[in-house]
Amino acid sequence: MNTSEFIYLDHAAATPLDDRVLDAMRPYFSDLFYNPSSPYAPAVSIRRDYEAAKQTIAECIGATADELVMTAGATESINLAFGSVNGHVISSAIEHHAVLAATRQHDHTLVDCDERGRIDPQSIRAAIKDDTMLVSIALANNELGTLQPLRDIAEVLRSEREARRVRGNTTPIYLHSDASQGVGQLDVNVARLGVDMMTVNAAKVYGPKQMGLLWAQRHIPLTPHIVGGGQERGLRSGTENVAGTIGFARAMQLADKGRKAEAERLRELRDGLEKRLMGAFKQAVVSGHKKHRLPGHLHISFPSVDAERLIFGLEARGVLVATGSACAANKGTRSHVLTAIGLAPEIADGSLRISLGKLSTIENSAQAGDILIDVINNEIDRMAKR
Amino acid sequence: MTKVYVGMSGGVDSSLTAALLVEQGYDVTGVYMKNWTQDLPGMRCPWADDLADAKRVAVQLGIDFKVFDFETEYRHKVVEYMIDEYTLGRTPNPDIMCNQEVKFKLFLDAAIDDGADMIATGHYAKVDNGVLKMAVDANKDQTYFLYRVTGAALTKTLFPLGEFTKPRVREMARERGLFTAAKKDSQGICFVGKVGIREFLSLYVEQVPGKIIDKNSGKVLGHHDGAIFYTLGQRHGLDLGGGLPYYVIGKDMGKNEVYVTTDLNDGTLWRSNVELAAVHWINAAPRNGDFAIRVRHRAKLTPASIAITDTRAQLQLHDPERAVAAGQSVVIYDGDVCLGGGIVV
Repeated sequence: MNTSEFIYLDHAAATPLDDRVLDAMRPYFSDLFYNPSSPYAPAVSIRRDYEAAKQTIAECIGATADELVMTAGATESINLAFGSVNGHVISSAIEHHAVLAATRQHDHTLVDCDERGRIDPQSIRAAIKDDTMLVSIALANNELGTLQPLRDIAEVLRSEREARRVRGNTTPIYLHSDASQGVGQLDVNVARLGVDMMTVNAAKVYGPKQMGLLWAQRHIPLTPHIVGGGQERGLRSGTENVAGTIGFARAMQLADKGRKAEAERLRELRDGLEKRLMGAFKQAVVSGHKKHRLPGHLHISFPSVDAERLIFGLEARGVLVATGSACAANKGTRSHVLTAIGLAPEIADGSLRISLGKLSTIENSAQAGDILIDVINNEIDRMAKR
Repeated sequence: MTKVYVGMSGGVDSSLTAALLVEQGYDVTGVYMKNWTQDLPGMRCPWADDLADAKRVAVQLGIDFKVFDFETEYRHKVVEYMIDEYTLGRTPNPDIMCNQEVKFKLFLDAAIDDGADMIATGHYAKVDNGVLKMAVDANKDQTYFLYRVTGAALTKTLFPLGEFTKPRVREMARERGLFTAAKKDSQGICFVGKVGIREFLSLYVEQVPGKIIDKNSGKVLGHHDGAIFYTLGQRHGLDLGGGLPYYVIGKDMGKNEVYVTTDLNDGTLWRSNVELAAVHWINAAPRNGDFAIRVRHRAKLTPASIAITDTRAQLQLHDPERAVAAGQSVVIYDGDVCLGGGIVV
C-alpha cells in the first residue's frame, strides 16, 4: 500500500489492498493452490484455512460461517438476495445502481428520502404491501455518505411480521442491506443493525476486488443463480476463491480492530477539510446528513462550477477525487441521488465527492486542501473573466 | 480578440491545434462533436473516453469546453448516405461527407451562432484566404477529404497543423505535456474504424447469397453473401481457393452477382476515362485543361485533362489508374491548391 505521487481522495470508489492482506493471500496464489474440494492432505488443509477465514469474517459481523455465501463482489451478493424473493420489493430512490437494477426486476416501490438523504422508516411502512418480501436499504449512501436508520426500519419490518402473523399472511419479509460503504468505518454487527441479509464487498475495506459476501439468516431460503459443483452449500457453485476469502478475512479483522480509532481519525481529517473549503468558498454546499454521515465522507458542491473540469484540474495537480454528480460523458444525466435530494442542477453539477481513508494523512489532507482551494479558485476566476 | 471554436476529438492532432491557437493569442473554446455514440457488436465505442480526453486537454489549456450534439444529423447525412451508396453498389467516402455536412457546415454554423468568429480543426491542410492547399506533410495531407468544403467556410477556418509533420506534432504535444500526446491515432471513420466496413454494413443490410462469376469464362467460381460487400479491385475475402488471386472487376446489384478475373491487366480494372458527377469547386470552377488528380486519399498525384460541363466533368487520365470505383471521389489539384473534385459515375 505505497503512497504514490497522487493524493487519493476516493476511497469510496476503491480502496488499496492492505499490505497485510496481500501477505495473507500470497501463499494461496502459489504453494497453496490445491482445490479445497480435493481429498489429499494438503488440499484438506486449504479447506480448513478457507473455513477458518469464513469463520473470522462471520465473527466480524456477528454471524456464523454457515450463514455466509462468498461471492465475486457486492453486485453478485445483491443479485443473489433479490433473486431469492418472488414478490414485491421496496428500496429507495438513492440506492446504488446494483440495487436499483435488481429492484426493477420485481414489482417494486422506491421510497424517497429527505433532503439530507435520510430515509424515513415510516415511508417504508407505508410502502409495504401484503406480498412485500424484501426491503433493501444501504447502510450508507455511496454518494452522500448519509447513514440510514436501519434499526428503525428493522423495527417496522418486525411489526409487519407480527401483523402478518395475526392476519394469517405467511409471506415472509426480509431486510437486506448493502453495508459495503460502511464496513471500514462503522459497526456492521448484523444483530445490532437488525438486518436479515447483508452484503459486504471486500474491495471497499482494503481487501481484494471481485470478492464479496451475502450473509443471510439461516432460515432464509436462497435461490442460487450460479449452479454447478455445489460449493457454498449449493448457493454459489464454482471452486472457492480461497486467496480472496483469506484476504477478505484479514481485511475484516484489521477493520474490526482499528475501526473506532480510524473512524475518529477520518472524522477529524474530514471535518478539517470541510471547514477549510467552507471557509474558502462561502457559496459551497455540503450535502448529506451532518451527524449521520460516514466519518471519511464529504459531498461538497460549488454552484455554477463544472465539477468535471475540477476533476481534471485536480488530477493534473496529483489529487484524485470523484465528481459528486454526472460527467458529460455520462450522457449528461445527473446523479439520481442528487436529483432525489432535490439539489438544484447548477449546484449538483458542481459536486465533488471526497472520501478519505487509510491513504489519508494530516499532511496530505492539508496539501489536498491547498490544491483544492487553488484549483477551484482558478476555475472561478477563469469563469469570471469570460 | 478573435474567438475560435476548435473541434476537439480527444486525439493528439486536435489537442495540439487548440494549444497552438491559445499560444497564438486566440480566444479559444474547445468543442467536442458528438456524432456517434453507439457500441457495435464486439467493439466498445470510445466516444466517452475521447470526450473526457478532449475536456481534460481543454482544462489543461484553461479554455472553455462545450459539447455539440450532432448525432441525429450525422446519422442522416453520413451514415444513411453511406449505407444507401453501398446498397446501390457504389463505394462512398463517409469522411468526405462528414466534412461537407457536419464539420464545415453544422459545426461551423453552430459555432458562429454561439459567438465564434472562426472554427479550427486538426486537419493536415493549409488554408489561405479561402483557398485550400496541401499540408507540408505530404504523407498526412488530408485535402482529399476536404474537397467538398466551400470557400466561404474556409474563410472562417484555421488549420494550424498544415505547417507541421505528424512526428513534429507529436513532439510538440509532448513538449507541452498534453495528456493526449502519446494517444494512438484513430483509424478511419470512427464508427467503422475497428469493426470494418463489412461487419458494419451487415448490421444494416440483409446478407443475400449470390454467385461469384469468372468474367472471361462465365463460370461460377463460388458464392458470396451479398454483392454489396465487394468493391472494385478487391482481392481479399473472395475465398475462392488456391491458384492465382482473383480480383473484383464488376458487380450486378440487380442479379446480386460479383464478377472476377485473374487478369491484373483487365480493362475494367484500369481506367483512363473517368466521368465525375456532382462536381464541387471550393472556389471558382477551373478552365478546362490539364491538372493533377488524386483518386483516393494518399494516392500519388497523376496528370489528367479535364473537361467540365455544368455539374459533370470528363477526365482523360494520362496514365490509367487502377480500381476507380463508382461512388468514390476524384480530387483535382493545381499545384498545391486543392480545387475541388467530383464523384465517379
